[in-house]
Amino acid sequence: MQFGIFSVGDVTTDPTTGTTVSEHERIKAMVAIALKAEEVGLDVFATGEHHNPPFVPSSPTTMLGYIAARTRNLILSTATTLITTNDPVKIAEDYAMLQHLADGRVDLMMGRGNTGPVYPWFGQDIRNGIALAVENYALLRRLWREEVVDWEGKFRTPLQGFTSTPRPLDGVPPFVWHGSIRSPEIAEQAAYYGDGFFHNNIFWPMSHTKQMVQLYRNRFEHYGHGPADQAIVGLGGQVFMRKNSQDAVREFRPYFDNAPVYGHGPSLEDFSAETPLTVGSPQQVIDRYASMREHVGDYQRQLFLMDHAGLPLPVVLEQIEMLGSEVVPVLRAEMAAGRPAHIPDAPTHASLKAAGRRHA
Amino acid sequence: MTERSIAVVTAGLSQPSSTRLLADRLATATRDALLQGGDEASIHVVELRELATDIAHHLVTQVPGAALRSALDTVRSADGLIAVTPVFTASYSGLFKSFVDVIGNEDLVGLPVLLGATGGTERHSLVLDYQMRGVFAYLRALPAPTAVYAASSDWGSGDGHLGRRIERAAGEFAELVAGRTPPRPSTSDSGLTSVPFEQLLTGE
Repeated sequence: MQFGIFSVGDVTTDPTTGTTVSEHERIKAMVAIALKAEEVGLDVFATGEHHNPPFVPSSPTTMLGYIAARTRNLILSTATTLITTNDPVKIAEDYAMLQHLADGRVDLMMGRGNTGPVYPWFGQDIRNGIALAVENYALLRRLWREEVVDWEGKFRTPLQGFTSTPRPLDGVPPFVWHGSIRSPEIAEQAAYYGDGFFHNNIFWPMSHTKQMVQLYRNRFEHYGHGPADQAIVGLGGQVFMRKNSQDAVREFRPYFDNAPVYGHGPSLEDFSAETPLTVGSPQQVIDRYASMREHVGDYQRQLFLMDHAGLPLPVVLEQIEMLGSEVVPVLRAEMAAGRPAHIPDAPTHASLKAAGRRHA
Repeated sequence: MTERSIAVVTAGLSQPSSTRLLADRLATATRDALLQGGDEASIHVVELRELATDIAHHLVTQVPGAALRSALDTVRSADGLIAVTPVFTASYSGLFKSFVDVIGNEDLVGLPVLLGATGGTERHSLVLDYQMRGVFAYLRALPAPTAVYAASSDWGSGDGHLGRRIERAAGEFAELVAGRTPPRPSTSDSGLTSVPFEQLLTGE
Protein backbone atom coordinates (compact mmCIF):
# COMPACT_ATOMS: atom_id res chain seq x y z
CA MET A 1 0.00 0.00 0.00
CA GLN A 2 1.35 3.41 -1.00
CA PHE A 3 0.77 6.58 0.99
CA GLY A 4 1.55 10.04 -0.22
CA ILE A 5 0.77 13.69 -0.67
CA PHE A 6 -0.96 15.44 -3.53
CA SER A 7 -1.02 19.17 -4.03
CA VAL A 8 -3.12 21.46 -6.19
CA GLY A 9 -0.55 24.22 -5.79
CA ASP A 10 -2.96 27.02 -4.95
CA VAL A 11 -1.75 30.43 -3.82
CA THR A 12 -4.31 31.33 -1.17
CA THR A 13 -4.18 34.10 1.41
CA ASP A 14 -3.72 32.81 4.94
CA PRO A 15 -7.05 33.91 6.46
CA THR A 16 -5.57 34.12 9.95
CA THR A 17 -2.78 36.56 9.05
CA GLY A 18 -3.80 38.06 5.71
CA THR A 19 -0.43 36.98 4.30
CA THR A 20 -0.23 35.79 0.70
CA VAL A 21 2.93 34.00 -0.39
CA SER A 22 4.46 34.82 -3.76
CA GLU A 23 4.38 32.33 -6.62
CA HIS A 24 8.08 31.81 -6.06
CA GLU A 25 7.55 31.00 -2.38
CA ARG A 26 4.67 28.65 -3.22
CA ILE A 27 6.69 26.75 -5.81
CA LYS A 28 9.56 26.37 -3.36
CA ALA A 29 7.07 25.30 -0.68
CA MET A 30 5.79 22.52 -2.92
CA VAL A 31 9.35 21.28 -3.29
CA ALA A 32 9.90 21.45 0.48
CA ILE A 33 6.69 19.48 0.99
CA ALA A 34 7.86 16.78 -1.43
CA LEU A 35 11.24 16.53 0.29
CA LYS A 36 9.50 16.28 3.65
CA ALA A 37 7.31 13.48 2.30
CA GLU A 38 10.42 11.49 1.43
CA GLU A 39 12.07 12.32 4.75
CA VAL A 40 9.16 10.97 6.80
CA GLY A 41 8.87 7.79 4.77
CA LEU A 42 5.90 8.52 2.54
CA ASP A 43 5.87 6.85 -0.88
CA VAL A 44 4.40 9.35 -3.33
CA PHE A 45 4.36 13.05 -4.14
CA ALA A 46 1.91 14.12 -6.82
CA THR A 47 1.47 17.60 -8.24
CA GLY A 48 -1.59 18.99 -9.93
CA GLU A 49 -1.52 20.74 -13.29
CA HIS A 50 -3.15 24.12 -13.69
CA HIS A 51 -2.89 26.91 -16.22
CA ASN A 52 -4.54 29.77 -14.43
CA PRO A 53 -4.05 31.80 -11.26
CA PRO A 54 -4.18 31.27 -8.31
CA PHE A 55 -2.36 28.00 -9.11
CA VAL A 56 1.37 27.66 -9.80
CA PRO A 57 2.03 24.15 -11.17
CA SER A 58 1.70 24.64 -14.94
CA SER A 59 4.85 22.64 -15.70
CA PRO A 60 4.73 19.41 -13.68
CA THR A 61 7.74 17.64 -15.20
CA THR A 62 10.00 20.63 -14.53
CA MET A 63 9.05 20.51 -10.86
CA LEU A 64 9.14 16.73 -10.60
CA GLY A 65 12.52 16.58 -12.33
CA TYR A 66 13.92 18.99 -9.77
CA ILE A 67 12.44 16.97 -6.91
CA ALA A 68 13.77 13.76 -8.48
CA ALA A 69 17.30 15.12 -8.23
CA ARG A 70 16.86 15.78 -4.54
CA THR A 71 15.19 12.53 -3.48
CA ARG A 72 16.06 8.84 -3.62
CA ASN A 73 12.92 6.83 -2.97
CA LEU A 74 9.89 9.02 -3.51
CA ILE A 75 7.61 8.13 -6.44
CA LEU A 76 6.91 11.28 -8.45
CA SER A 77 3.45 11.50 -9.83
CA THR A 78 0.74 13.89 -10.90
CA ALA A 79 -2.61 14.65 -9.36
CA THR A 80 -3.76 15.31 -12.87
CA THR A 81 -2.04 15.38 -16.24
CA LEU A 82 -4.39 17.04 -18.65
CA ILE A 83 -4.86 14.41 -21.32
CA THR A 84 -7.44 16.63 -23.01
CA THR A 85 -5.53 19.85 -23.62
CA ASN A 86 -1.92 18.63 -23.68
CA ASP A 87 -0.57 17.20 -26.88
CA PRO A 88 -0.14 13.47 -26.22
CA VAL A 89 3.14 13.62 -28.12
CA LYS A 90 4.50 16.12 -25.61
CA ILE A 91 3.22 14.07 -22.66
CA ALA A 92 4.95 10.99 -24.07
CA GLU A 93 8.24 12.88 -24.42
CA ASP A 94 8.14 14.82 -21.15
CA TYR A 95 7.30 11.87 -18.92
CA ALA A 96 9.72 9.50 -20.63
CA MET A 97 12.44 12.11 -20.06
CA LEU A 98 11.40 12.42 -16.41
CA GLN A 99 11.42 8.65 -16.06
CA HIS A 100 15.07 8.51 -17.17
CA LEU A 101 16.13 11.34 -14.87
CA ALA A 102 14.26 9.82 -11.91
CA ASP A 103 15.50 6.28 -12.61
CA GLY A 104 11.95 5.04 -13.04
CA ARG A 105 10.38 6.64 -9.95
CA VAL A 106 7.55 8.06 -12.06
CA ASP A 107 3.91 7.39 -12.69
CA LEU A 108 1.15 9.77 -13.68
CA MET A 109 -2.55 10.34 -13.37
CA MET A 110 -4.64 11.29 -16.37
CA GLY A 111 -7.38 13.84 -15.84
CA ARG A 112 -9.60 15.91 -18.07
CA GLY A 113 -9.50 19.15 -16.13
CA ASN A 114 -12.79 20.58 -15.03
CA THR A 115 -12.31 24.22 -15.97
CA GLY A 116 -14.11 25.10 -19.19
CA PRO A 117 -12.00 28.12 -20.14
CA VAL A 118 -8.77 26.09 -20.13
CA TYR A 119 -9.76 24.13 -23.22
CA PRO A 120 -9.78 27.01 -25.73
CA TRP A 121 -6.43 28.27 -24.40
CA PHE A 122 -5.02 25.09 -25.88
CA GLY A 123 -7.18 25.00 -28.98
CA GLN A 124 -9.75 22.55 -27.64
CA ASP A 125 -13.41 22.49 -26.64
CA ILE A 126 -14.65 21.15 -23.29
CA ARG A 127 -17.59 19.50 -25.01
CA ASN A 128 -15.08 17.07 -26.52
CA GLY A 129 -13.62 16.33 -23.07
CA ILE A 130 -14.30 12.59 -23.00
CA ALA A 131 -13.54 12.08 -26.69
CA LEU A 132 -10.21 13.92 -26.26
CA ALA A 133 -9.32 11.83 -23.21
CA VAL A 134 -10.07 8.64 -25.14
CA GLU A 135 -8.28 9.51 -28.38
CA ASN A 136 -5.25 11.24 -26.84
CA TYR A 137 -4.62 8.48 -24.36
CA ALA A 138 -4.89 5.79 -27.04
CA LEU A 139 -2.17 7.67 -28.95
CA LEU A 140 -0.04 8.21 -25.84
CA ARG A 141 0.00 4.48 -25.17
CA ARG A 142 1.14 3.73 -28.70
CA LEU A 143 3.88 6.37 -28.56
CA TRP A 144 5.34 4.68 -25.49
CA ARG A 145 4.91 1.14 -26.73
CA GLU A 146 5.66 1.31 -30.43
CA GLU A 147 8.98 2.53 -31.80
CA VAL A 148 7.50 3.94 -35.00
CA VAL A 149 3.97 5.26 -35.04
CA ASP A 150 1.66 5.99 -37.97
CA TRP A 151 -1.45 7.59 -36.62
CA GLU A 152 -4.47 9.60 -37.62
CA GLY A 153 -7.26 10.87 -35.39
CA LYS A 154 -9.80 13.63 -34.99
CA PHE A 155 -8.01 16.07 -32.71
CA ARG A 156 -4.39 16.52 -33.79
CA THR A 157 -2.36 16.43 -36.98
CA PRO A 158 -1.60 12.91 -38.23
CA LEU A 159 1.76 11.29 -37.50
CA GLN A 160 3.73 9.37 -40.08
CA GLY A 161 6.73 7.30 -39.09
CA PHE A 162 7.01 9.20 -35.83
CA THR A 163 9.25 8.07 -32.99
CA SER A 164 8.79 9.66 -29.57
CA THR A 165 12.10 10.21 -27.80
CA PRO A 166 13.52 9.31 -25.41
CA ARG A 167 12.06 5.83 -25.41
CA PRO A 168 10.63 4.84 -21.98
CA LEU A 169 13.26 3.70 -19.49
CA ASP A 170 14.02 -0.02 -19.96
CA GLY A 171 11.22 -0.10 -22.53
CA VAL A 172 8.70 0.13 -19.67
CA PRO A 173 6.14 2.94 -19.97
CA PRO A 174 5.24 4.72 -16.73
CA PHE A 175 2.25 3.25 -14.91
CA VAL A 176 -0.88 5.30 -15.53
CA TRP A 177 -3.78 6.09 -13.23
CA HIS A 178 -6.98 7.59 -14.54
CA GLY A 179 -8.56 10.10 -12.24
CA SER A 180 -12.23 10.85 -12.48
CA ILE A 181 -14.78 12.03 -10.02
CA ARG A 182 -18.04 11.59 -11.90
CA SER A 183 -17.51 10.13 -15.38
CA PRO A 184 -18.18 6.40 -15.76
CA GLU A 185 -16.45 6.57 -19.16
CA ILE A 186 -13.11 7.18 -17.45
CA ALA A 187 -13.58 4.29 -15.02
CA GLU A 188 -14.35 2.26 -18.14
CA GLN A 189 -11.16 3.51 -19.83
CA ALA A 190 -9.00 2.61 -16.83
CA ALA A 191 -10.60 -0.84 -16.72
CA TYR A 192 -10.20 -1.40 -20.47
CA TYR A 193 -6.44 -0.90 -20.35
CA GLY A 194 -5.93 -2.52 -16.94
CA ASP A 195 -4.59 0.82 -15.69
CA GLY A 196 -5.14 2.24 -12.22
CA PHE A 197 -8.25 4.17 -11.23
CA PHE A 198 -8.00 7.03 -8.78
CA HIS A 199 -11.14 8.46 -7.28
CA ASN A 200 -10.41 11.89 -5.91
CA ASN A 201 -13.15 11.76 -3.36
CA ILE A 202 -12.22 14.77 -1.24
CA PHE A 203 -15.48 16.55 -2.03
CA TRP A 204 -17.64 13.44 -2.29
CA PRO A 205 -19.52 11.09 0.00
CA MET A 206 -18.31 7.51 0.25
CA SER A 207 -21.53 6.20 -1.32
CA HIS A 208 -20.52 7.84 -4.61
CA THR A 209 -16.86 6.80 -4.41
CA LYS A 210 -17.98 3.26 -3.77
CA GLN A 211 -20.14 3.21 -6.93
CA MET A 212 -17.35 4.56 -9.14
CA VAL A 213 -14.78 2.12 -7.76
CA GLN A 214 -17.21 -0.78 -8.08
CA LEU A 215 -17.88 0.08 -11.72
CA TYR A 216 -14.13 0.18 -12.39
CA ARG A 217 -13.53 -3.11 -10.62
CA ASN A 218 -16.37 -4.90 -12.47
CA ARG A 219 -15.20 -3.64 -15.84
CA PHE A 220 -11.53 -4.48 -15.03
CA GLU A 221 -12.62 -8.07 -14.60
CA HIS A 222 -14.85 -7.86 -17.70
CA TYR A 223 -11.86 -6.87 -19.86
CA GLY A 224 -9.90 -9.85 -18.61
CA HIS A 225 -7.23 -8.21 -16.48
CA GLY A 226 -7.98 -10.40 -13.48
CA PRO A 227 -10.56 -10.60 -10.74
CA ALA A 228 -12.22 -7.35 -9.66
CA ASP A 229 -10.45 -7.30 -6.32
CA GLN A 230 -7.09 -7.17 -8.10
CA ALA A 231 -7.86 -3.90 -9.87
CA ILE A 232 -5.59 -0.98 -8.89
CA VAL A 233 -7.45 1.62 -6.87
CA GLY A 234 -6.38 4.93 -5.36
CA LEU A 235 -8.27 7.36 -3.14
CA GLY A 236 -7.85 10.95 -2.09
CA GLY A 237 -8.02 12.23 1.45
CA GLN A 238 -7.69 15.36 3.49
CA VAL A 239 -6.67 15.69 7.13
CA PHE A 240 -5.56 18.19 9.74
CA MET A 241 -4.25 16.92 13.06
CA ARG A 242 -3.38 18.09 16.53
CA LYS A 243 -2.80 15.99 19.61
CA ASN A 244 -6.15 17.17 20.96
CA SER A 245 -8.91 17.08 18.42
CA GLN A 246 -10.44 20.35 19.72
CA ASP A 247 -7.16 22.11 18.97
CA ALA A 248 -7.17 20.71 15.45
CA VAL A 249 -10.71 21.96 14.82
CA ARG A 250 -10.01 25.38 16.32
CA GLU A 251 -6.84 25.87 14.28
CA PHE A 252 -8.13 24.50 10.98
CA ARG A 253 -11.59 26.11 10.98
CA PRO A 254 -10.58 29.52 9.57
CA TYR A 255 -8.71 27.78 6.74
CA PHE A 256 -11.69 25.55 6.06
CA ASP A 257 -14.17 28.42 6.18
CA ASN A 258 -12.22 30.43 3.61
CA ALA A 259 -10.81 27.62 1.49
CA PRO A 260 -11.09 27.79 -2.28
CA VAL A 261 -13.83 25.53 -3.70
CA TYR A 262 -15.68 24.59 -0.52
CA GLY A 263 -15.12 27.67 1.68
CA HIS A 264 -18.12 29.83 2.56
CA GLY A 265 -20.24 26.73 2.09
CA PRO A 266 -20.97 23.81 4.40
CA SER A 267 -19.79 23.75 7.99
CA LEU A 268 -16.57 21.95 8.91
CA GLU A 269 -18.68 19.45 10.84
CA ASP A 270 -21.08 18.69 7.96
CA PHE A 271 -18.26 18.48 5.44
CA SER A 272 -16.30 16.13 7.72
CA ALA A 273 -19.32 13.87 8.02
CA GLU A 274 -19.97 13.78 4.25
CA THR A 275 -16.42 13.60 2.88
CA PRO A 276 -13.12 12.02 3.95
CA LEU A 277 -11.95 15.31 5.53
CA THR A 278 -10.84 14.43 9.04
CA VAL A 279 -9.88 17.17 11.47
CA GLY A 280 -8.85 15.81 14.83
CA SER A 281 -6.29 13.66 16.59
CA PRO A 282 -3.93 11.30 14.74
CA GLN A 283 -5.95 8.42 16.14
CA GLN A 284 -9.14 9.80 14.59
CA VAL A 285 -7.38 10.01 11.24
CA ILE A 286 -6.16 6.44 11.60
CA ASP A 287 -9.64 5.19 12.45
CA ARG A 288 -11.24 7.01 9.53
CA TYR A 289 -8.76 5.94 6.87
CA ALA A 290 -8.39 2.38 8.14
CA SER A 291 -12.10 1.99 7.43
CA MET A 292 -11.92 3.14 3.78
CA ARG A 293 -11.29 -0.37 2.49
CA GLU A 294 -14.55 -1.52 4.01
CA HIS A 295 -16.22 0.59 1.33
CA VAL A 296 -13.99 0.19 -1.73
CA GLY A 297 -12.13 -3.04 -0.99
CA ASP A 298 -8.38 -3.40 -0.41
CA TYR A 299 -6.71 -0.64 -2.38
CA GLN A 300 -3.27 0.41 -3.46
CA ARG A 301 -2.74 4.13 -3.01
CA GLN A 302 -3.90 6.75 -0.54
CA LEU A 303 -2.99 10.38 -1.21
CA PHE A 304 -3.60 13.22 1.23
CA LEU A 305 -4.18 16.88 0.49
CA MET A 306 -2.25 18.73 3.20
CA ASP A 307 -1.10 22.07 1.85
CA HIS A 308 -3.98 24.14 0.53
CA ALA A 309 -6.21 26.99 1.70
CA GLY A 310 -3.32 29.21 2.75
CA LEU A 311 -1.88 26.96 5.48
CA PRO A 312 1.64 28.25 6.20
CA LEU A 313 4.52 26.03 5.13
CA PRO A 314 5.84 25.32 8.68
CA VAL A 315 2.39 24.04 9.69
CA VAL A 316 2.14 21.90 6.56
CA LEU A 317 5.58 20.39 7.20
CA GLU A 318 4.57 19.68 10.79
CA GLN A 319 1.40 17.97 9.54
CA ILE A 320 3.36 15.80 7.11
CA GLU A 321 5.73 14.91 9.94
CA MET A 322 2.77 13.70 12.02
CA LEU A 323 1.34 11.85 9.05
CA GLY A 324 4.63 10.08 8.41
CA SER A 325 5.54 9.28 12.00
CA GLU A 326 2.22 8.71 13.78
CA VAL A 327 -0.44 7.89 11.20
CA VAL A 328 0.96 6.07 8.19
CA PRO A 329 2.97 3.41 10.09
CA VAL A 330 -0.19 2.39 11.94
CA LEU A 331 -2.28 2.52 8.74
CA ARG A 332 0.29 0.37 6.92
CA ALA A 333 0.00 -2.26 9.65
CA GLU A 334 -3.80 -2.09 9.76
CA MET A 335 -4.16 -2.23 5.96
CA ALA A 336 -1.78 -5.19 5.80
CA ALA A 337 -3.73 -7.10 8.44
CA GLY A 338 -6.30 -9.29 6.78
CA ARG A 339 -5.25 -8.23 3.30
CA PRO A 340 -5.50 -11.36 1.10
CA ALA A 341 -2.20 -12.41 -0.44
CA HIS A 342 -3.55 -12.13 -4.00
CA ILE A 343 -4.21 -8.39 -3.70
CA PRO A 344 -1.44 -6.73 -5.73
CA ASP A 345 0.55 -3.64 -4.78
CA ALA A 346 0.45 -0.65 -7.08
CA PRO A 347 2.76 -1.33 -10.03
CA THR A 348 6.15 0.40 -9.93
CA HIS A 349 8.87 0.66 -12.54
CA ALA A 350 10.69 -2.27 -10.94
CA SER A 351 7.61 -4.50 -10.80
CA LEU A 352 6.59 -3.66 -14.38
CA LYS A 353 10.12 -4.31 -15.60
CA ALA A 354 10.18 -7.68 -13.85
CA ALA A 355 6.75 -8.57 -15.22
CA GLY A 356 7.91 -7.61 -18.72
CA ARG A 357 10.88 -9.95 -18.40
CA ARG A 358 8.63 -12.77 -17.25
CA HIS A 359 6.36 -12.31 -20.26
CA ALA A 360 9.20 -11.97 -22.73
CA MET B 1 -57.02 0.95 -33.27
CA THR B 2 -58.04 4.58 -32.73
CA GLU B 3 -57.27 7.23 -35.31
CA ARG B 4 -55.73 10.37 -33.81
CA SER B 5 -55.79 13.55 -35.77
CA ILE B 6 -52.54 15.54 -35.50
CA ALA B 7 -52.41 19.15 -36.72
CA VAL B 8 -48.94 20.38 -37.66
CA VAL B 9 -48.54 24.15 -37.72
CA THR B 10 -45.28 25.31 -39.22
CA ALA B 11 -44.24 28.94 -39.55
CA GLY B 12 -41.14 28.55 -41.71
CA LEU B 13 -40.78 30.95 -44.64
CA SER B 14 -38.05 29.67 -46.93
CA GLN B 15 -38.16 26.74 -49.36
CA PRO B 16 -37.04 24.29 -48.16
CA SER B 17 -37.53 25.48 -44.62
CA SER B 18 -35.72 23.94 -41.66
CA THR B 19 -38.82 24.69 -39.61
CA ARG B 20 -40.89 22.52 -41.94
CA LEU B 21 -38.16 19.90 -41.84
CA LEU B 22 -38.32 19.79 -38.04
CA ALA B 23 -42.13 19.74 -38.14
CA ASP B 24 -42.08 16.76 -40.50
CA ARG B 25 -39.64 14.86 -38.35
CA LEU B 26 -41.73 15.53 -35.25
CA ALA B 27 -44.85 14.39 -37.12
CA THR B 28 -43.22 11.18 -38.33
CA ALA B 29 -41.84 10.40 -34.89
CA THR B 30 -45.29 11.05 -33.41
CA ARG B 31 -46.90 8.72 -35.93
CA ASP B 32 -44.39 6.00 -34.98
CA ALA B 33 -44.91 6.56 -31.27
CA LEU B 34 -48.69 6.41 -31.63
CA LEU B 35 -48.41 3.22 -33.67
CA GLN B 36 -46.42 1.62 -30.89
CA GLY B 37 -49.32 2.32 -28.58
CA GLY B 38 -51.71 0.82 -31.13
CA ASP B 39 -53.08 4.10 -32.52
CA GLU B 40 -53.04 5.42 -36.04
CA ALA B 41 -52.28 9.05 -36.85
CA SER B 42 -53.72 11.26 -39.56
CA ILE B 43 -51.37 14.19 -40.10
CA HIS B 44 -52.66 17.57 -41.29
CA VAL B 45 -50.02 20.17 -42.10
CA VAL B 46 -50.81 23.88 -41.94
CA GLU B 47 -48.17 26.02 -43.67
CA LEU B 48 -48.58 29.49 -42.23
CA ARG B 49 -46.58 31.00 -45.11
CA GLU B 50 -49.52 30.29 -47.41
CA LEU B 51 -51.92 31.93 -44.95
CA ALA B 52 -49.87 35.06 -44.28
CA THR B 53 -52.17 37.52 -46.06
CA ASP B 54 -55.32 35.80 -44.78
CA ILE B 55 -54.03 36.11 -41.25
CA ALA B 56 -53.21 39.80 -41.75
CA HIS B 57 -56.67 40.47 -43.21
CA HIS B 58 -58.31 38.62 -40.36
CA LEU B 59 -56.43 40.68 -37.79
CA VAL B 60 -57.66 43.86 -39.45
CA THR B 61 -61.20 42.86 -40.46
CA GLN B 62 -62.01 40.03 -38.00
CA VAL B 63 -63.13 37.95 -41.02
CA PRO B 64 -61.19 34.76 -41.79
CA GLY B 65 -60.73 33.78 -45.43
CA ALA B 66 -61.71 30.26 -46.51
CA ALA B 67 -58.17 28.84 -46.31
CA LEU B 68 -57.60 30.31 -42.87
CA ARG B 69 -60.99 29.09 -41.67
CA SER B 70 -60.12 25.57 -42.76
CA ALA B 71 -56.72 25.79 -41.05
CA LEU B 72 -58.34 26.97 -37.82
CA ASP B 73 -60.84 24.11 -38.03
CA THR B 74 -57.98 21.65 -38.48
CA VAL B 75 -56.32 22.89 -35.33
CA ARG B 76 -59.49 23.13 -33.23
CA SER B 77 -60.65 19.64 -34.10
CA ALA B 78 -57.26 17.94 -33.72
CA ASP B 79 -56.38 15.47 -30.98
CA GLY B 80 -52.91 16.97 -30.80
CA LEU B 81 -51.01 19.96 -32.17
CA ILE B 82 -47.40 20.12 -33.29
CA ALA B 83 -46.37 23.80 -33.36
CA VAL B 84 -43.04 24.81 -34.87
CA THR B 85 -41.69 28.31 -35.41
CA PRO B 86 -38.43 29.86 -36.51
CA VAL B 87 -36.81 32.21 -34.00
CA PHE B 88 -36.89 35.77 -35.27
CA THR B 89 -35.26 38.52 -33.21
CA ALA B 90 -35.08 36.52 -30.00
CA SER B 91 -38.66 35.20 -30.14
CA TYR B 92 -41.22 33.18 -32.12
CA SER B 93 -41.93 34.74 -35.48
CA GLY B 94 -44.59 37.40 -35.86
CA LEU B 95 -46.48 35.22 -38.31
CA PHE B 96 -46.59 32.37 -35.81
CA LYS B 97 -47.84 34.65 -33.05
CA SER B 98 -50.41 36.27 -35.33
CA PHE B 99 -51.84 32.85 -36.13
CA VAL B 100 -52.01 31.99 -32.45
CA ASP B 101 -53.69 35.37 -31.90
CA VAL B 102 -56.56 34.46 -34.22
CA ILE B 103 -57.19 31.12 -32.52
CA GLY B 104 -59.86 31.60 -29.86
CA ASN B 105 -58.68 31.77 -26.26
CA GLU B 106 -60.72 28.68 -25.37
CA ASP B 107 -59.99 26.64 -28.49
CA LEU B 108 -56.88 24.83 -27.29
CA VAL B 109 -57.91 24.07 -23.70
CA GLY B 110 -56.64 20.62 -22.75
CA LEU B 111 -55.08 20.01 -26.17
CA PRO B 112 -51.71 18.19 -26.13
CA VAL B 113 -49.08 20.32 -27.90
CA LEU B 114 -45.58 19.45 -29.06
CA LEU B 115 -43.42 22.58 -29.21
CA GLY B 116 -40.58 23.05 -31.68
CA ALA B 117 -38.38 25.91 -32.83
CA THR B 118 -35.48 26.43 -35.19
CA GLY B 119 -32.72 29.01 -35.32
CA GLY B 120 -29.25 29.80 -36.57
CA THR B 121 -27.61 29.26 -33.21
CA GLU B 122 -28.23 27.24 -30.04
CA ARG B 123 -28.26 30.49 -28.09
CA HIS B 124 -31.98 30.92 -28.68
CA SER B 125 -33.10 27.52 -27.49
CA LEU B 126 -34.79 28.79 -24.30
CA VAL B 127 -37.33 30.55 -26.55
CA LEU B 128 -39.20 27.28 -26.28
CA ASP B 129 -39.53 27.21 -22.53
CA TYR B 130 -39.60 30.91 -21.72
CA GLN B 131 -41.80 32.17 -24.55
CA MET B 132 -43.66 29.47 -26.46
CA ARG B 133 -44.54 27.41 -23.41
CA GLY B 134 -45.93 30.50 -21.73
CA VAL B 135 -48.27 31.24 -24.63
CA PHE B 136 -49.68 27.72 -24.55
CA ALA B 137 -49.92 27.77 -20.78
CA TYR B 138 -52.05 30.90 -21.12
CA LEU B 139 -54.27 29.04 -23.60
CA ARG B 140 -54.46 26.18 -21.06
CA ALA B 141 -53.15 23.68 -23.60
CA LEU B 142 -50.99 20.72 -22.53
CA PRO B 143 -47.45 21.18 -23.86
CA ALA B 144 -45.38 17.98 -23.72
CA PRO B 145 -42.51 18.19 -21.21
CA THR B 146 -39.82 17.96 -23.90
CA ALA B 147 -39.74 20.65 -26.58
CA VAL B 148 -37.35 20.41 -29.51
CA TYR B 149 -35.02 23.14 -30.69
CA ALA B 150 -32.94 22.58 -33.82
CA ALA B 151 -30.04 24.95 -34.57
CA SER B 152 -28.20 25.07 -37.89
CA SER B 153 -25.41 23.04 -36.30
CA ASP B 154 -27.86 20.23 -35.47
CA TRP B 155 -28.68 19.65 -39.12
CA GLY B 156 -25.03 19.24 -40.02
CA SER B 157 -23.98 17.02 -37.15
CA GLY B 158 -24.18 13.27 -37.27
CA ASP B 159 -24.15 12.85 -33.51
CA GLY B 160 -27.79 11.80 -33.27
CA HIS B 161 -28.63 14.26 -30.48
CA LEU B 162 -31.43 15.92 -32.45
CA GLY B 163 -32.90 12.55 -33.39
CA ARG B 164 -32.94 11.43 -29.78
CA ARG B 165 -34.62 14.65 -28.63
CA ILE B 166 -37.24 14.30 -31.34
CA GLU B 167 -37.93 10.73 -30.35
CA ARG B 168 -38.25 11.57 -26.66
CA ALA B 169 -40.51 14.56 -27.31
CA ALA B 170 -42.73 12.62 -29.72
CA GLY B 171 -42.97 9.76 -27.24
CA GLU B 172 -44.22 12.07 -24.50
CA PHE B 173 -46.57 13.87 -26.89
CA ALA B 174 -48.06 10.59 -28.16
CA GLU B 175 -48.77 9.50 -24.58
CA LEU B 176 -50.63 12.76 -23.96
CA VAL B 177 -52.58 12.43 -27.24
CA ALA B 178 -53.59 8.90 -26.24
CA GLY B 179 -54.84 10.24 -22.93
CA ARG B 180 -52.04 8.87 -20.82
CA THR B 181 -49.30 10.44 -18.71
CA PRO B 182 -45.74 10.20 -20.05
CA PRO B 183 -43.96 7.53 -17.98
CA ARG B 184 -41.39 8.45 -15.34
CA PRO B 185 -37.92 7.05 -15.91
CA SER B 186 -36.99 4.22 -13.61
CA THR B 187 -35.12 5.48 -10.55
CA SER B 188 -33.93 2.13 -9.28
CA ASP B 189 -30.47 2.44 -7.74
CA SER B 190 -28.64 -0.34 -9.51
CA GLY B 191 -25.20 1.32 -9.49
CA LEU B 192 -23.33 3.12 -12.25
CA THR B 193 -23.11 1.86 -15.78
CA SER B 194 -20.87 2.85 -18.63
CA VAL B 195 -20.52 2.47 -22.37
CA PRO B 196 -18.30 -0.38 -23.60
CA PHE B 197 -14.88 1.13 -24.25
CA GLU B 198 -14.62 -0.19 -27.81
CA GLN B 199 -17.57 2.08 -28.55
CA LEU B 200 -15.87 5.09 -26.96
CA LEU B 201 -12.71 4.36 -28.95
CA THR B 202 -14.53 4.44 -32.24
CA GLY B 203 -16.26 7.65 -31.19
CA GLU B 204 -19.78 6.29 -31.54
